[in-house]
Amino acid sequence: MNLLRTYILPRLLQWVMVVFVGITATFLIPRLSPVNPVDEMLARMTAFQSMDPDSFAAMRESTIALFGLDKSPIEQYITYWSRLLQGDLGPSFGNFPRPVSDIIATALPWTIGLLGTATAISWTSGVLLGALAGYYHNRRWAQVIERFVVVAYPIPYLIIAFVLILIFAAWLQWFPLVGGARGDPGFNWEYISSLLYFGFLPALSIVIGATAFRFIMAKSLTTTEIASDYVQYAELAAVPKRKIMLYYVARNTMLPQVTDLALSLGAIFEGALITEVVFAYPGIGFITYNAIYNGDYNVIMGVTLLSIVGIATASLLIDLLYPVFDPRVRLR
Amino acid sequence: MFRKFVFLLLLALIVAPALVAVAQEPQGLPVEVPGGRENLWVFDRIYRLPTEADWNIWKSGIHTAFFHALMHETFWNRDQETGEFIHALAAADPVYNDDFTEMSVELRQGVLWTDGEEFNADDVVYTIDALRNKYDGTQGGWQVQLNDFDAMVEKTGEYSVKFTIGRPNPRFHTLFESRWNGIYMMPSHVAAEVEASLAEGENLSAWVWDAEDMVVLGNYLPIDWDENGYWQLFERRADPENSLAGIITGGSGPPYALGIWYGNENIKKAIAMSRGELDVYFDVDIESFETTLDTAPTARSWYKDFPWAYPNEVSSRAMAFNLEGDSMAANKDVRWALALAINIVELQSEYIGGVAKVTPFNIPPTAKLYELYHGPLEQWLIDLQIDLGDGEMYNPYDPTVPDQIAAWAEDYGYTVPGEPREVFGTGWWKFDPDAAEKLLMKAGMSRGDDGRWLTPDGELWTLDIQSDPSENDAYRMGQAAADMWSEFGVDVNFITLDRSTWTQNHRVGAFEVSTPWQSFALASGDMWPNVRGYHSKYYAPAGEDYNPLGGNSLRRQQETVLDELIDAMEGVNPVSQEAENIALAHEFVKHWVENMMDITTIAFKKFVTWDEKYWTGFPTAENPNYQPLYWFMGGKFAIQNLTPTGG
Repeated sequence: MNLLRTYILPRLLQWVMVVFVGITATFLIPRLSPVNPVDEMLARMTAFQSMDPDSFAAMRESTIALFGLDKSPIEQYITYWSRLLQGDLGPSFGNFPRPVSDIIATALPWTIGLLGTATAISWTSGVLLGALAGYYHNRRWAQVIERFVVVAYPIPYLIIAFVLILIFAAWLQWFPLVGGARGDPGFNWEYISSLLYFGFLPALSIVIGATAFRFIMAKSLTTTEIASDYVQYAELAAVPKRKIMLYYVARNTMLPQVTDLALSLGAIFEGALITEVVFAYPGIGFITYNAIYNGDYNVIMGVTLLSIVGIATASLLIDLLYPVFDPRVRLR
Repeated sequence: MFRKFVFLLLLALIVAPALVAVAQEPQGLPVEVPGGRENLWVFDRIYRLPTEADWNIWKSGIHTAFFHALMHETFWNRDQETGEFIHALAAADPVYNDDFTEMSVELRQGVLWTDGEEFNADDVVYTIDALRNKYDGTQGGWQVQLNDFDAMVEKTGEYSVKFTIGRPNPRFHTLFESRWNGIYMMPSHVAAEVEASLAEGENLSAWVWDAEDMVVLGNYLPIDWDENGYWQLFERRADPENSLAGIITGGSGPPYALGIWYGNENIKKAIAMSRGELDVYFDVDIESFETTLDTAPTARSWYKDFPWAYPNEVSSRAMAFNLEGDSMAANKDVRWALALAINIVELQSEYIGGVAKVTPFNIPPTAKLYELYHGPLEQWLIDLQIDLGDGEMYNPYDPTVPDQIAAWAEDYGYTVPGEPREVFGTGWWKFDPDAAEKLLMKAGMSRGDDGRWLTPDGELWTLDIQSDPSENDAYRMGQAAADMWSEFGVDVNFITLDRSTWTQNHRVGAFEVSTPWQSFALASGDMWPNVRGYHSKYYAPAGEDYNPLGGNSLRRQQETVLDELIDAMEGVNPVSQEAENIALAHEFVKHWVENMMDITTIAFKKFVTWDEKYWTGFPTAENPNYQPLYWFMGGKFAIQNLTPTGG
């Protein structure tokens, strides 16, 4: 009971506050932008055609009312919360009247699939290789990997992505230029293999940089850790190196890595805009970009809501699970 | 052990791409159709728009791009290449009564909906009634305009209707004349059934039209699409000879059409075409176009060789001025000075690559519009004089500009495919920094010790140009002007903005010089529809948004002369009184030019490029039967004429 009151409850309240403040800020910020969703929509609907100015003004008025933007910001804010609490994110202004939840539901699985997989691969390989390279830093293979990472890490993501496209899509023509899969979705090899086929380059482009980052972090942590007294004592005590590595060093370097993993998974909901644009891969990033570009308030709020909840929840989980990983926290 | 593990991991990273590639046939198109690539025509979608399973094109908010030309029809089309008024669902021109309160339309017979029903007057009557009364707002502002005109329609025969227009208008028919959109006819026998099935309180805005239920007059029906908006697949109807485009052209079009979006990077379209995964793209920058020529041997654009690009989309690019506020550019002499400080030959050749037509006012010199405007106004332009100060009169127009560009092209080893005026447009303003200097002195300005221009107050004159890079040629035009004006001694800030912010700045007048595009005239030559929004009654002062008024007060102009001309044009029938209408339009152009309200430089050009590996028959400069702008409504005729090459 004491644990609930002193440790869990404050963190749950903090989570609620973060989400509330985040959503409120997300409601206000797009409305401070000079971009008006009604004008953007009307510009599209009347493009390449000449329209009677008085009729245009009338249509503009009716569209503002249709979107509910004729009401005061306070009224809009209250309406938004009342809808949100009923699970309704409202209609998209840019794709009116399609529900925002529908747009997000269409895009989100691609983002989760791509970023979830890429994060899992890069975290596992980066942490593992970094730890090994840190512990066996004098080995030839460790030095080779480190040099590769040192070269790859500073390369801007955009360059890596374009190089992959030029090599594998333009020159070798092994991989496609656009899309996420081919055929009807289903749990069959044809569809799954097409998912791998279409998603391989986008995932690889993310994995390269993300692995390099985690490699450097893991190696640095391991290098610090192996200089600790307890490691030297273990080595003098002839504890097998593999055991020192796996049971002591790796475990002690895991805490920041777990935090990184949790936050990275939470940040998945932000999407991967550049990846989606460069590889023409579906996902939430481009939806967000388009929404900001067109002043599509409801989509901006819908996506940001996910992101806020995702990261806040990840932080909460880290806080709640830290005692499991680190007995020192538990004791405190 | 560890070494083995690391080795295997690295091996996996290297080998995995190959394995995944081998697991799939290396083919990047997201769909397969019966008959393979030889039955599939793949076109560039321009935009990526999320697609949902609702094809109710009439309701407000639905995106029409890409599929309107494939599926829908209205009464008339205007071909941008030829200027021809094409009778589509109407069998003849509109017929007005004397006071323009009635418009009679004779309908084309024999056009079938895809379910075999014939299009007739009932469809027209139903469509107008539905748009006016059965939607919560519609596409294209059709509802508000029909209601504003208080337009009623009655059936006068199985294939004829008569509109009654409460607010007299000689251009009422333009609601049904499509360049991009026009009021599309609804299948009354389908929509009436839907209407009957709606719940109480619902109207046709609630109608979600599933693809499998669709009945259209066009040649294609949607069969598959990506909900994320990358592609849409269409299948040709079973009886293409009964579609409107089939009846008009006699062609049947490819069995399948796939619209696909390759992203914003031009080079990806070039790569896709080199892979045989794109048959036509709508535009790229010149560098990507050159890549296409290098990597897709069967690809070409409008001209087989230089200047390649299609030059006749009805629009032009200009440096527009905010005529209000403290800007020196609010002074007419300053604007003229800036025009004379631009070297148009260098702008057109070095910045645009020599591939667009020059025009001195906001009307592109297409064949039809040249005949109506540039040709008749040529002598006036030659005779035009401006006052450089102290009574010195000066003729600013240089009719030899196309010849100078042709000479530049020949120096580069290009062959000019025709008369310089046909290929490179018209004359323009002389490049004359000395005359420009006199004009600035006349405006009270002076040069500082460093040669930079100072305002009459002795302050350094700084000029801001705002531009949006997504319109490549307008952006390059702005860069050229910035370079040339800097060379002339003006302190220029060239500001790059994203499209939304840039447009919003237009609306509230938060700019000094900008790079918009427009044409005063429609492809037909009629001017009033495009300039009526410039009337002073739609004026909004700088700092206020002009959009709520509905007009176009981008420049914050308030010109009584223009207002009178706009009012006069409104009452003239553009067809039966064409000469009078064009004469008024000439006066509009003259006033605009004399006051140098814009520095217009070039017409629109598009590197609309197609690969003849799988399909041939696209319109070309040698065979200009229809506009090649396939994304417009009139593009359907070009699509219908495509024939397979056998791959």
